[in-house]
Amino acid sequence: MQPSQGGAGDRELMGRLAGGDREALAPLMERHYRRLYRIALSYLRQPDDALDVVQEVFVKAYQSASRWDGSAEAGPWLARITVNLAIDRWRRNRRRAQTFTPLAESDHVATLADLGPAPDRRVQGREAGERVAAALRALPERQRAVVVLRHYQDMSLEEIAGTLGMSLGTVKSSLHRALHRMRAGLAGEQP
Amino acid sequence: MSLAHLRRRRLVSLLAAGVLEGREREETVAHVEACPRCRAEHDALRAVVAAMEADPLRAAEPEVPLAFLVGRVEREVERALVPEGRPRWWLVALPAAAAVLAVAVLVPAIVARLRPAPEAAHAEIPPAEASPLLTEDALARIERNLAREHAVRYLSEAGEVLVSVAATGVDCDRAEERLDVGRAPERSRELLERRTLVVRGGGEAVASARGVLDDVELALREVADLPSCVKRADVEHVRREVEERQLLMRIRLMTRELEG
Repeated sequence: MQPSQGGAGDRELMGRLAGGDREALAPLMERHYRRLYRIALSYLRQPDDALDVVQEVFVKAYQSASRWDGSAEAGPWLARITVNLAIDRWRRNRRRAQTFTPLAESDHVATLADLGPAPDRRVQGREAGERVAAALRALPERQRAVVVLRHYQDMSLEEIAGTLGMSLGTVKSSLHRALHRMRAGLAGEQP
Repeated sequence: MSLAHLRRRRLVSLLAAGVLEGREREETVAHVEACPRCRAEHDALRAVVAAMEADPLRAAEPEVPLAFLVGRVEREVERALVPEGRPRWWLVALPAAAAVLAVAVLVPAIVARLRPAPEAAHAEIPPAEASPLLTEDALARIERNLAREHAVRYLSEAGEVLVSVAATGVDCDRAEERLDVGRAPERSRELLERRTLVVRGGGEAVASARGVLDDVELALREVADLPSCVKRADVEHVRREVEERQLLMRIRLMTRELEG
């Protein structure tokens, strides 16, 4: 998990948003947009879709700020909206893919081409990314969300449970099943 | 498979995921070390976790600057607040008020000119300039406000067009790597037609916006020349132009300044 960004700053900004102060949007976005982008991108694997999701998250945050529970942390609340919107987007894309030509694997290669951390690690990283992307895509929606929050956001099980509104037991079972499915997927087996 | 065995397998998975702590972790580590089958399973799951840790997406940065994204969100919020087809109240109210005041000034003057009044009464008809309803200053103020409102609308719409091009991710021809920019070129041409009215008609009232208006014009001219299905490189070019000139941020600041 990244260093805590919650606390008074978020609460104050959310309070201002709830009062209709649009000036609070930019600082709130500055605090959270990278993290939310990575959640959406890890889930969807498409930068444009991930950006759209982040945009929707903050529009929704502005519209729902008055209903936000002031005692809650804004970070997990925003992460929850992000996961839900990413799942919605995933479903929409899947429906569209059923109507139109599905994306070829090479498209994902192109999308990931510029995301490597360093040029010398890019090829290796890309290959790992492609294999992981395929294994993640094969997971059920909620299992994938659990894996993304755990292994791409380094969240604890309790944080994942809070973010996704699941019990701790369900998070544990989901993570266990997801890892086994991914293992089978990466090994080219039927999960 | 017994319940205890299932529980053990789950603990092995959670150990590989790095989420076990304390005594539960110690016990599971000891079990894995003593059980070759469990160790093999643990190692295989660790490889899955390691593959995710090597995934470049973990460190991915958004491809657009924060200011760009903030602009998109603010526009969406604005759009959500003002349903399409329903203009802001002041866009209706200001021209309406101006029309009412103009009628109030002009009607007495016209009536005065048309009325075949007796010569003796002529001096009693007040001239239009002397109307207590509206001074020249007030008229000038209304004109200035209207010019600024036109400029704000123009800049806001131009910003929307530029965002729609720079942020498009919709393929229209995947083989040729072309992206769909929809009606953006057509809207750019419409906006460019309005530009003269905004700049010349605005005069001093929009003088401070001249620099932004000029840069927006250049960007709109580039978009206006595009087809609706455009090469990805051309979209990238527009995006770079918008970013390098910080157009969206400048549009936002200028519209705020013009709105007072």
